[in-house]
Amino acid sequence: MSDISTEKYKEEARRGIANPVLQKALAGLQDRFGRGTAEAYRRLPEGPDLRLRAHEIRETAIAHLDTLLEILADKIRANGGYVYFAETAQAAVDYCLAVARRNNVRLVVKGKSMVSEEIGLNPVLEAAGIEVVETDLGEYIIQLAGETPSHIIAPAIHKNRHDIADLFVRKLGIRRTTDPPELTQAARKALREKFLAADMGTSGVNMACAETGHITTVSNEGNIRMATTMPRVHVALMGMERIVARLDEYEIILRLLCRGAAAQTMGTYASYIGGPRRPGESDGPDEFHLVVIDNGRSRIMADPQFREMLCCVRCAACLNVCPVYGKIGGHSYGFAYSGPVGAVVTPLLTGINRAKDLCCGETLCGACKDACSMNIDLPRMLLALREKLAYGDADWQVEPASRAESLAYRGWSWLIRYRRLYELGLKFAAAGQKLLPQEKGMLRRLPPPVQGWTRSRDLHPLAEETFMQRWRRTRKR
Amino acid sequence: MLDDLRPPDQIRFLRRIRTALGHAPEVSREAKHLFAEGPTEEELLLLDRIRQREQAGRQALLERLFEAGKPINLRVTALPDGAYATAAIVRLVAEKEPEWGEAKRITAWRHPLIDRLNFPEALDRLQIPVHVAAPVPVDAGRSFDQAERERQRAEIIASFIGVTSADFCLADTATLVMRNRPGQPRSAALVPSIHIAVIHWDQILADMKELFALLRWDERYRPEGLSNYMSFISGPSKTADIEATMVNGAHGPREVHLFVLTE
Repeated sequence: MSDISTEKYKEEARRGIANPVLQKALAGLQDRFGRGTAEAYRRLPEGPDLRLRAHEIRETAIAHLDTLLEILADKIRANGGYVYFAETAQAAVDYCLAVARRNNVRLVVKGKSMVSEEIGLNPVLEAAGIEVVETDLGEYIIQLAGETPSHIIAPAIHKNRHDIADLFVRKLGIRRTTDPPELTQAARKALREKFLAADMGTSGVNMACAETGHITTVSNEGNIRMATTMPRVHVALMGMERIVARLDEYEIILRLLCRGAAAQTMGTYASYIGGPRRPGESDGPDEFHLVVIDNGRSRIMADPQFREMLCCVRCAACLNVCPVYGKIGGHSYGFAYSGPVGAVVTPLLTGINRAKDLCCGETLCGACKDACSMNIDLPRMLLALREKLAYGDADWQVEPASRAESLAYRGWSWLIRYRRLYELGLKFAAAGQKLLPQEKGMLRRLPPPVQGWTRSRDLHPLAEETFMQRWRRTRKR
Repeated sequence: MLDDLRPPDQIRFLRRIRTALGHAPEVSREAKHLFAEGPTEEELLLLDRIRQREQAGRQALLERLFEAGKPINLRVTALPDGAYATAAIVRLVAEKEPEWGEAKRITAWRHPLIDRLNFPEALDRLQIPVHVAAPVPVDAGRSFDQAERERQRAEIIASFIGVTSADFCLADTATLVMRNRPGQPRSAALVPSIHIAVIHWDQILADMKELFALLRWDERYRPEGLSNYMSFISGPSKTADIEATMVNGAHGPREVHLFVLTE
């Protein structure tokens, strides 16, 4: 498993909010992509409702996932590829390592893949003495800096040109420049050498199609095309849910994926890979391996409340509109997946208690659902997670998140059943609030243990007169 | 049903999925209804539209291609015939400077449309060598095969321009569609700094829908299908990973020129 730091959500969020570079970058990102994507959906010939059709397609595929995966595996094997089904992250990583060892691999070039972050591939390969190079420019920057991605599509969004210039001077030995084209050129040069020397390339899978027996990868930079063309071995890592039945269905998903990810009508490169190099061809890998990964997905599938999450294609459109992500940034989410998608998927994959702050931190404003290229009801699932955290859940081994909170609500529910006692309590509270600091008719700070409520907002004081008192008074007249 | 013939990791994996979906874990399920026996009404209309497309239709698609190419920096030029394309290629080769080395070298596909342009001859006068990709002999033995592939790989790496054709071009998104074949390496459109593609205008389709209808149902294209590696290329390589500034030439070609022959 890769590093999980979901417990540090609040701490990291505070740090993100205090970071002016991140704030500026996030505002710019959301301003551009958030609006651009909505506009791109509107310009579809079918309109934004195409997302509803996509949702149906994905749901049908998930409902027949066993059959579709079987067909895909048969076709890829018939084309000379290998397919491995990995139940856990460990099994997937072990398989990749075994392929690398068997082929005497010394250098691996990686196309961007969130599932490789999820399973923690890099540290395992590196521990085996294999050099691993991230080749997406953003991923390369954060690898050089020894950090983790903070956005699914724009991994280095938290770094500005000055950070990157310093980093490249230190790591690549270039003359200092803050010009993005010159910095890009420096990375292009360094990575070209890696591409041409690499023994193995890895990639993710954006979407597979059972009918044709192909997986697809999409990129703007061309790094994935390089990683799947130049090295001797290509290993593609696929979350098991990333498949549709037919090519005409795939067409709809691809159009929405490109719009959701970057408000584009089409990514620069889309590659349809069905197997290794064929006889007579001069380029392409000798070996092609597809690793289909469960790692907790079948558990999500088994729960009808959360099965819908498997429709997700990780386009990251929800990150680009989320008011919470837009302030706290991706590192707060403590796992490969950030933003609203991370707030649902991370608790389900890593443990609901462990990642409780993620789903409680979102606002339920619904922006993510409107932006979702697959029209997934993320707010519904955030609520379902919160319900489990409130009451506990045996199937998901969830402990009620806060004993104090449930005790308080139980006390409240008892209190309001006794009129006299309740009114007495109100009197005490009305008297007590006079002792609290006030400004412009608002309470500025509540006392412990509820001081958190007023950390960043004021509270209306209790009215002089309760509703019941007023009711009695006005009815007498 | 065929479980005993399949690897144990797959059997266990698919059983777990069936259980999660609430089905009997042991039984493979029928999925015919998910697939299509033949083209839909809509696809038949698309196929008809493609077949019946004439001059005016092609001209309209060409206009759409020009428009779609602009925002993604794909330079599209319509040329009346091959001689113009040859001249245009020679001019580009003469004008542009290599990115990585000193010497100018070119790689070109072995392809009927490219062969016909005969630009290696013209470039020979400028003493610029052209490597024409060739199918690797299939039964010449493993070591020859390896050496031949390495030779061609080195040629492509040393080239600053790659000249290819394409199977189709999608007007709506300015997308070149290429299927992998012997003598038509995909790295020729990837590793050199500049990619030049030459197509005939009857290869232009409107969009992915038309393309997939052809690949799925047209008898000319159906047998080859998507090949083992089909590429969509929409303009030059680009990145916006540094402060969201768009830069062309991240890893793939920095420039893509598309010459469309309207003869």
